[in-house]
Amino acid sequence: MKAAALSGQLETLLGRLLQYGTLAASGIIAVGLVLGLASSPLGMSVATAGIALFILLPALRVAVMLIFFLRARDYRYGAIAALVLLIISISFFVGMRWNAPAQ
Amino acid sequence: MPIGVELWLFAVALGTSMLGGVLGMASGIFIVPVLTMFGRIDIHTAVGASLVSVIACSCGSAAPFLKERLTNIRLAILLETATTSGALCGVFLAGLVPTQYLYLLFVLILLLSAQQMLVRRKDPDGSSSVQRLPLGMTLMYGAGMISALLGIGSGVLKIPAMDTALRLPIKVSSATSNFMIGVTATASAAAYFARGEIVTSVAAPIALGSVVGAVLGARILINVPAQRLRLMFIGILVLLAAQMLLAAFGINLFGPKS
Repeated sequence: MKAAALSGQLETLLGRLLQYGTLAASGIIAVGLVLGLASSPLGMSVATAGIALFILLPALRVAVMLIFFLRARDYRYGAIAALVLLIISISFFVGMRWNAPAQ
Repeated sequence: MPIGVELWLFAVALGTSMLGGVLGMASGIFIVPVLTMFGRIDIHTAVGASLVSVIACSCGSAAPFLKERLTNIRLAILLETATTSGALCGVFLAGLVPTQYLYLLFVLILLLSAQQMLVRRKDPDGSSSVQRLPLGMTLMYGAGMISALLGIGSGVLKIPAMDTALRLPIKVSSATSNFMIGVTATASAAAYFARGEIVTSVAAPIALGSVVGAVLGARILINVPAQRLRLMFIGILVLLAAQMLLAAFGINLFGPKS
């Protein structure tokens, strides 16, 4: 069936994205920590970029699914993926607007 | 931050992730109790760091399940509308719920995990089609909320939701739950990150340690008898639950006095 073949493609695509994404984010964090240990002022910024990549990775995964579903003309699941992406974006903007609670 | 603290954080994440990997259980549940009880780190900082490690573990372990076609991608994205909504709700609650109640909620989740480790899961009888979706969605909403509040993957809640409400085979529900955990954690981590509540000096060594631990755990500990590890795991869960219960009432047996 066409849908099944397409679905197999999606699994390969998502597997690669998550695998290489994890490698990249871990690598960036490792570099940042080593720089930090060598007391380079850059260390923490690099490590923060790695953390940001980790947080972004599942959102990228949903974005890839969204594009895939739209291209397969599977609009129902396309809308579902768009909704998940929207909720993640709302969360990010809520965080930006809200100040950190007083410690 | 002193080098010793970073190494300690790395070692904690490495150890728990190795153990968790062997038993097919998320190690996120250990990170917040260990950081708050032994490291005396603020619970919100611990939750932020734990969420990053939860994302790392979910993403890092997804590929083999996808390759084996065990992950039900469509069911995952559908249930993720519920888990991410729950996470968003958890983000709002996190700032309002007093630390004491967070500790008590954690005690409950730790004991639930211990109980789940004791009881062997069985494949549901009958057809393995998705049933009772509304109940499943409701449980997933709750799992997302708990994930955001406590910084755990909530696999402990997602898997029973899949087993009892949706009646999927164990391998499918484990793979699908693991796949969903990353997106769920991202929905709350994005808010904490934007709010500046994810502290790099804590989260970075924890995330790296978790990834390295998961890789090592899959290779090294595979020959250790699982039964003994399981008992050890249960023991640690109960001990952490007891200590967190005491801490909720202001008693701390470990770590320096605040």
